[in-house]
Amino acid sequence: MAGNGRILAGFLAPHPPHLVYGENPPQNKPRSQGGWEPLRWAYEKVREKIKILQPDVIIVHSPHWQTIVGHHFLGVPKLSGLSVDPIFPHLFQYKFGLDVDVELADACIEEAKAEGLIAKKMTNPKFRVDYGTITSLHMMNPDWDIPVLGISANNSPYYFSHDFAQDQMIKLGRATQRAIEKTGRRAVLAASNTLSHLHFDREPEIPEDMSKEHVMTHEQYLWDMKVIDLMRRGELDELMEILPEFMEKAFAEVRAGSLVWMLAAMGFPKIPAELHGYGTVIGTGNAVMEWDLVKRDLDEIRSQEGIVCATP
Amino acid sequence: MRNTVNTTPENIKKAFMVPGLPHLALDFPGGNGAWKDLKEACRKAGEDARAADPDVIVIYSSQWISVLGHSFQADPNPKGVHVDENWYDMGDFEFNFKVDIDLAAKAERHAREKGLATKMVNYEGFPIDTGTLVVLKHFNPENKIPVMIVSSNIYCGKEDSYTLGQAVGEALKESGKKAVVINCSSLSHRFFTEDIDPAQDKLASETDDQWNRQMLELIKAGRNQEAFEKGEEYAKSAGPEMMFKGFYWLMGVLNTPQTPGSVLAYGPVWGTGNAVIEYSLN
Repeated sequence: MAGNGRILAGFLAPHPPHLVYGENPPQNKPRSQGGWEPLRWAYEKVREKIKILQPDVIIVHSPHWQTIVGHHFLGVPKLSGLSVDPIFPHLFQYKFGLDVDVELADACIEEAKAEGLIAKKMTNPKFRVDYGTITSLHMMNPDWDIPVLGISANNSPYYFSHDFAQDQMIKLGRATQRAIEKTGRRAVLAASNTLSHLHFDREPEIPEDMSKEHVMTHEQYLWDMKVIDLMRRGELDELMEILPEFMEKAFAEVRAGSLVWMLAAMGFPKIPAELHGYGTVIGTGNAVMEWDLVKRDLDEIRSQEGIVCATP
Repeated sequence: MRNTVNTTPENIKKAFMVPGLPHLALDFPGGNGAWKDLKEACRKAGEDARAADPDVIVIYSSQWISVLGHSFQADPNPKGVHVDENWYDMGDFEFNFKVDIDLAAKAERHAREKGLATKMVNYEGFPIDTGTLVVLKHFNPENKIPVMIVSSNIYCGKEDSYTLGQAVGEALKESGKKAVVINCSSLSHRFFTEDIDPAQDKLASETDDQWNRQMLELIKAGRNQEAFEKGEEYAKSAGPEMMFKGFYWLMGVLNTPQTPGSVLAYGPVWGTGNAVIEYSLN
C-alpha cells in the first residue's frame, strides 16, 4: 500500500457548533428544535460521498486549535472526552472519541520539516480536542468509524504578512500530500473554515430561531458569493489573488490557512468545486463545498481515451 | 468621567496584574533567568494576597475569551484537568476550586444594568483557561478561597471594559466582602514563533520593551489615569494582551486610584513582555 496514497476529495467544511446543536446527535447534550437546515442538509451530501469513497483517513485543519510555535498534529492513537465550546457552551457539550492516524501524523511531520516548517506531534493523552475539529468531523462522518488526523492552525497569519503566512500553508499542504502518498493512505481533506466571519455578539432567546438569522452585512454576502463563484468555476489563481482582500474586508476565517492548506495539498485543482450549500450562522457566511479528485481523474482518463460520457 | 481621586471600595485590599503563561506555573526545562524571577514574583504576590485574608479573589482573564458579551463563571465547583493547547508538553493543570456564585450574580446584574451583554456560565466540562489556572496556582494553591472569574469579551472596547470593572467594583462594595482583584494579562504579547533557548529569552522587539517600560513607569508613579489614557497608543504600538482591556477593567474596579503599583518583576516569556504588579490599597 505504501507509496500509492492519494487524496480522494477535499471539502470546505465549516465548523459552527450550531450545526451539531441543530442536529441533536446523541453525543451532544444540549437539545434544539433544529435550525440551519440548508447547511446541515449540505453536509448530508458530504456524508453520502464519504460512505462511497471509504477513505482510510479524514484530515482536518482547524482554526480553533491555535498554535504559536509551528504546525502541530494530533499524535495520540485514541483521544476521548468532553469538548465544551468556550464561546457557545450552551450549544456544544460533545462527548468525543476519535481514532488518530498517528503513522500519518509522523509522516506529515517529517515532510513538513523537509519543507523547512516547524512541525510538532501532540502526545498528551489528556488533550481536549477543539470544537472546530470535532464539529467538522462530526458533520462529515457522525459514525466516527474512519480514523482522523487533526492539524493545528499556526498563528503566522496573525503575525506576519499575508504572503509569508500563505506560503507556510502551501508548504504544509505539499507536505501533507507527500505524506499521504508515501503512507499509501486514501485520504479526504477538510478545511474547517467559515467564509465571512463577522458575527453578532448577541443571540436570540432561542438560538435556533431562524427568523433572526441573516448575514451580518450585505458587503459580507457579496464577498462570500464572489469567492464561492470563483471556486465553482475552478478559478483558483483568481481566488488566491483576492484572498487577502477577502480576509480583510469580510474578516474571513480562511485567514487561518485551512483552505489554502487544502488547495495546496490537492495541487490547486482547477476544476469546478461543487457547492452543497450556503448559509449563515449568527451572521457568518458558511459554504459546504467539494472538490472531487476521483471524478477529475476519471474525466481526464475518459478525455484521453476519447470516451464520451452519456451522463444526462 | 473617571475619578482621579482614590475612591477604591474599602473592602478591596489589594490588586494585581499578573501574566497567565504556563511557563510561570509549570516546570519547563531551562526555565531559569527571567522566567524564574517572574515565577518568584508570582509566588510572592500570591503570598501577599493571602496575607490580606480575602473572602474572595476576583480574576479577569485575558485568556478566557468570550464573544456573546461578558461571561461570568457560575459553576460553584469547577473541577477537572486542563491541558494548554500550545504548551501541552509542559504538564497538566488539575483543578478543583470554589466559585463565589453570589458575587458573580451581583456583578452580572450590575453589568447588565449598565447596558452590557452578559452571560452566566455553568456547564460541566467548561474549559477553564490557562491564565485563570496559573493565577490560582500562585494565589490560591490550596483552593481555600472562593474566586470570581470574568471573561475578556473580544468585541469589547476600552469604555465597556472600564464599565465592566465598575460593575464588579459595585458588586464587591454591595457584598462587603474583603477582596483581592487580579487582572491576568501579559503586557506586549508578541511571541517568538520558533523554538527558543529559555535561558536566552528576550523581548520580541525593542519597541515593545520600551513601551512596556514606559507604561510601568506610569503605574509605579501612581499615574494610572495617564496609563489608562495612553492605552490605545500602547495597544497599537506594542500589542498588549487583549489590547490592554484587563488594565481598563482593573481601573474600573478600583476607580482609577492614584496608588502606585509596585512592580515585583518584569521580563520576557517567549518574547512577550510580562510584569507582576501589586497595588496595596486599603
